[in-house]
Amino acid sequence: MDLDALMRCVGTTSCIVTQLTSGMIIGMLLFLIASGVTLIFGVLNVINFAHGSLYMIGAYAAWTFYQLTGSYFISALGAAVAVGMLGVLFERFLMSKVYGSNVLMQLLVCYAVVLISDDLIKIIWGPVSLSMGMPVEFRLPPLRFFGGVVPPFYIFMIVAAMAIGLLLWLVIARTRFGNIVRAAAVNGPMVSALGIRVNLYYAAVFGIGSALAGAAGALAAPVRSLTPGMGFSILIESFIVTVIGGMGSIVGAFVASIIIGLTRSFGSIGFPLFVDGVMFLIMALVLIFKPSGLFGRPHNK
Amino acid sequence: MSSIDSRRTGRRQILKGAGALATAGVIGMPAIVKGQSGAIKIGVPTILSGRVAVLGQTSVGGLKVVFDKVNETGGINGRKIELVVRDSKGAPQEAAKVTRDLINNDGCQIIIDAEASSGAFAVQEVIREIGVLCIHSNSETSSLTADPKLHVPTAFRTARQGIHDAIGGGDYAAKIAKAKGLKKWATCSPDYAYGRSNTAEFMEYAKHFDGNIQVVEESWPKLFQPDYTEVVTKVLNAKADAMYSALWGGDLVAFIDQANLYGLFDKQASFMVNLGDYGVVDQVKQFPQGVYSGGRYNRTVPPTKENEEWYQNYVKTQKHKPTNWSWENDVAAQMVVEALKKTNGDTNGKKLAEVIKGMTIKTQFGVGGSVTMRAEDNTLVNYIIGYGVSLSKEPYIADFQTSPWEPIYELEKQWKKKQGYAS
Amino acid sequence: MTGRWRDLALAGAGLVILLLVPLFGAPPAIRDFIMFGMAYGLLAMSLNLLIGYSGLVSFGHAMFFASGAYAFGLAMQSGKFSIPAAFALAIVFTAVLALIVGAICVRLNEIYFAFLTLAFQMLFYNVILGWVSFTGGDQGLMGGIPRPKFLGIDLADRTQLYVFCSVAFIICIAILRQLVTSPFGYTLRLIRDNQERAAFLGVNVPLVKLTCFVISACVAGVGGILLTLFVSGAYPNFGFWTTSGEAIFMILLGGSNVFLGPLVGTVILRLLNDITVTYTSHTELVLGIVILILVLGLRKGPLDLIAERLENRRQAAAQAVRDAADAGAADTRKGGS
Repeated sequence: MDLDALMRCVGTTSCIVTQLTSGMIIGMLLFLIASGVTLIFGVLNVINFAHGSLYMIGAYAAWTFYQLTGSYFISALGAAVAVGMLGVLFERFLMSKVYGSNVLMQLLVCYAVVLISDDLIKIIWGPVSLSMGMPVEFRLPPLRFFGGVVPPFYIFMIVAAMAIGLLLWLVIARTRFGNIVRAAAVNGPMVSALGIRVNLYYAAVFGIGSALAGAAGALAAPVRSLTPGMGFSILIESFIVTVIGGMGSIVGAFVASIIIGLTRSFGSIGFPLFVDGVMFLIMALVLIFKPSGLFGRPHNK
Repeated sequence: MSSIDSRRTGRRQILKGAGALATAGVIGMPAIVKGQSGAIKIGVPTILSGRVAVLGQTSVGGLKVVFDKVNETGGINGRKIELVVRDSKGAPQEAAKVTRDLINNDGCQIIIDAEASSGAFAVQEVIREIGVLCIHSNSETSSLTADPKLHVPTAFRTARQGIHDAIGGGDYAAKIAKAKGLKKWATCSPDYAYGRSNTAEFMEYAKHFDGNIQVVEESWPKLFQPDYTEVVTKVLNAKADAMYSALWGGDLVAFIDQANLYGLFDKQASFMVNLGDYGVVDQVKQFPQGVYSGGRYNRTVPPTKENEEWYQNYVKTQKHKPTNWSWENDVAAQMVVEALKKTNGDTNGKKLAEVIKGMTIKTQFGVGGSVTMRAEDNTLVNYIIGYGVSLSKEPYIADFQTSPWEPIYELEKQWKKKQGYAS
Repeated sequence: MTGRWRDLALAGAGLVILLLVPLFGAPPAIRDFIMFGMAYGLLAMSLNLLIGYSGLVSFGHAMFFASGAYAFGLAMQSGKFSIPAAFALAIVFTAVLALIVGAICVRLNEIYFAFLTLAFQMLFYNVILGWVSFTGGDQGLMGGIPRPKFLGIDLADRTQLYVFCSVAFIICIAILRQLVTSPFGYTLRLIRDNQERAAFLGVNVPLVKLTCFVISACVAGVGGILLTLFVSGAYPNFGFWTTSGEAIFMILLGGSNVFLGPLVGTVILRLLNDITVTYTSHTELVLGIVILILVLGLRKGPLDLIAERLENRRQAAAQAVRDAADAGAADTRKGGS
């Protein structure tokens, strides 16, 4: 515990600015992944334990596209689309087979996919960690606000993640597609009875959720090292976010991501050894006092 | 269904379960292979899956180059050496289980333990019980061999030892600190046993050699943490003159990439003991000036013909670049071969341990071309330790300075006393 | 009552079979396999008391596996306890921990219960990792677990250790069996199938759930102790969420509706693991594909499937007998085939 250090930091604008932005950076990538988890859960009532692997595949795909094209933007877009399509296949050929069965059966299918994709990554790209390096467009000196330091790439990352999140929210809340999806989330058979092919919508939702993970992987690729199993730790954090925000709530995922991001950035100064513990503590407290999460609707059964 | 009814089926289910259990146990058990009088079997528990799979891959590579050559030239007294490699997946209890199986089930007579540290401690306990020859080829944690409480007569180490690196590195860092006036230091190392002890020891000896050095900030990211932004900004806020980091592998690459965004390396000198490895240094795309890296394995250290040939041969036969783990395992394999030659192929643990104790072998990885298995505590000494300046392209390191061993021996003695390891 | 005695007789027979293994000169590797399997088997069996019998899907069960292991290991390393005392201490510690965690968790339903148990497990894991001076942090309990002799028993000897583990294992299994066939066990299933109805019938649902949670945790703790004795150390990953996950897979691979299903699952998973690490360096790929085939092909544990088939056949046979009685003796053969 070093609360003095935390007080000292909060006392200087430069430290506040730097830590606030680093909290946002961590939070926004997490948000992209968690929003996919929460979307899929909200509509399909399925917890996708393989979401971390989709993030990993997104990062590796972006790396490969970047080697081929040399353009970061094309690579990021390509990775998101590729992972989205992979998500559709995953849903159609594997997950849809275990809808309605035990949660544990779904868990098992996801676990198998995690194992297989980790090993395939190792076979295709090798066990050595890879690094994409900063794309030329972003090799700029860091910007300064109020004495705090913010790298330009991270500004791009935050803005991109927020824009994707906003777009997602608009699609779900404002479009015909979104209406059907929300209706299907409440009562799938009823929507099906109206002559709408619900299965297609399920696959589409899974695809969108996967594409979000792919985009997160692509955004992370320039700054994080690519290794088999890299989706592991991010998965558990995205569950924390999903639970705190409320399963099925995109707004909740957004708020919870920022909470976790800030806990990490300020926690590393104030209580560096117990940052992970505090994240789980927050999750436990939310579950004890408001099991449906900060923004979740009470979930019956 | 009435309760009596269900109880009857319940019993039947138990019987069925027990039957299935027994059948599975008998049929599925991998065939018990008796130690064939032909080959000498060497078991290698290591990590082949997950994030540190590269450790297993390059360790096995280091072993293969030696044993393949021995087998090509007729083996030991005509007997071939057979490697049996097993994945423990990085879990210590699996490492213990796998090691026992290698000995009891596969008939391995010798163990080369290519586990990471916590696995190595678990393997050590198995060896304590079974008593075969074991060489820990990757664990750098000092206490494994330095602490007499953990001592096992037939267990040795051919890996670097943390305290040696710390003394050599501290000496080098102090010289640069004096020359450049680096007084305020920050540290950034992974939060686990290796990272903590390595960093504490390095800073202790840096201070020992230069009294002006003080640590103003410590940061401890988690092992395998994907994002280092919060620790980068924390180090940045400390406004130190220099930084020490014991991060390694992909974690180190990610840290450097992320720290680059903040221009961290332009503002301070940085010492990173694990930067020198292939797979790390050649992954970093941008290198600022003044990043110092510890020696791991590099084809130009030492700049001899033997070393370049070894590198070429390794890459040609194993299809990947060697790492620090490769040379450590190369030495382990050579020691085993030498010992077997001396015992005429006898694989008895005690006999092999007797000849390995104090053994010196010729190798380019040693200072002056040889390394020694110190008899006093069963650990390797006189291997090349040092620091140089990192480059972002071949040969990746410049101005490499090899640490002399005399002061290391001297300070190590004092350190052991202080830890209560020696009187 | 006869069912109960037969169960006990079967338990005794199981113990005899286990004890015969070393006598008939089974190679040490088979003994090791069984000991390892018994430790994980207790973890899976005890978890199934929650998942299969009470409908409480816990993602945090490995916490109690680790608490048993660490409490026992630390007590032994302190040098102040005999093995039975440390054993008892570890179980009491695990029970108290389970009582506290359980009291908070059992109020929640389904997925929220799962996530809350997960959160507590990770808190516990972080305490083990962070409290380096006490637990050794990520290195675990190093330097071996001392095994002083007690009552003439020397657990440093592998055969005696094997016998000790077998006895402890069989006692735990017998306790679990008694529990699920007792009225308490039926109450558990009543809660699993219809919680409201159970409450309506006057069952104190939270109390029953909590009791079940604590007993289950204690059995998992014994599993942890056995593993600690086997590897002569305790490591943080005993309490990591992947260990809980593994226990769940064991249950699913075996079958959650048959009493010994989880144990069969344990054997299947351990065999899969041992065979894949022996023959391939791509353990993850092979394991993943096998799981997919099992899940998508069978949709349930193999033992559940067999039990169901047999049950169907039995019912068909019973039906046939009734049909035959109705239609007269002449049609018996036709109906029975």
